[in-house]
Amino acid sequence: MNNKTELVTREETTPVQSRQIPVVAPEVDIYEDNDEILLNAELPGVAKEDVTVNVDNGKLTITGIRKMFAAGAAKWAEFGDVEYRRIFSVPQTIDVAKVNAELRDGVLRLHLPKSETAKPRQIEIKAA
Amino acid sequence: MWMRVSDLDRMFGVMDLLNARINSMFGDYDRSYGNDYGGCLVTEGTPRTNIYDAGDHFEIMAEVPGLTKEDLNLRIQGNYLEISGTRKTDAPEGYKAHRVERETAPFTRCFTLPVDVDAEKVDASLNNGILIMTLPKTEAVKPKQLTIN
Repeated sequence: MNNKTELVTREETTPVQSRQIPVVAPEVDIYEDNDEILLNAELPGVAKEDVTVNVDNGKLTITGIRKMFAAGAAKWAEFGDVEYRRIFSVPQTIDVAKVNAELRDGVLRLHLPKSETAKPRQIEIKAA
Repeated sequence: MWMRVSDLDRMFGVMDLLNARINSMFGDYDRSYGNDYGGCLVTEGTPRTNIYDAGDHFEIMAEVPGLTKEDLNLRIQGNYLEISGTRKTDAPEGYKAHRVERETAPFTRCFTLPVDVDAEKVDASLNNGILIMTLPKTEAVKPKQLTIN
């Protein structure tokens, strides 16, 4: 015999997070010259709106979320929804205000210009 | 007491999550691609692909970051599909390289599709570094709607 007394069915009171979007580090190339540091990161499938670049307290954080859509029954799937995330330490000599980024063909190009005081300087020797 | 199926499902979900957390503790040394994708590893440098069967056509996606349409080469013959591409290094002149992780080698990947596709009507586009191809099946193998008399 059923001796349940609840009038309405019980809602789940302890929601459990059971799905998590995988976090991977994107592959990057880093180049430097006298004026700037250039960082190229591969973020295939990430739209411009879903990329964040954050420079805070000497830490550069790049994140990008990719949402894929399924176009039918999957025969196989080797990639899917993913969160790209990678954190770098940046030298204090970077001029944070002038950092600029562009996203083209799934590659994020981040230009980190060095501040004027940090650039190498040729010192001219005056004849006495 | 009866255990509800949803409870079991939730329990396994939590176990998966814990497993993923523990795996990620060790995966941080290098990039952690691989295990998170259900053990589906592709050799280094070959683009990952997804293939969907949408009834009357196949939809194929491939990760090709940094490639333009000039760098990619697609060949179709019957049910055989070949994607190849060349990657140019985009290292700027006069810069010193600190880290070079991105692949620069050319690649080729071939597929044998389950049925023939109509090579004339294939549509391919590039979107944010993802190649998306729509390959319509030939008329002979398309699903047909039958009417009942």
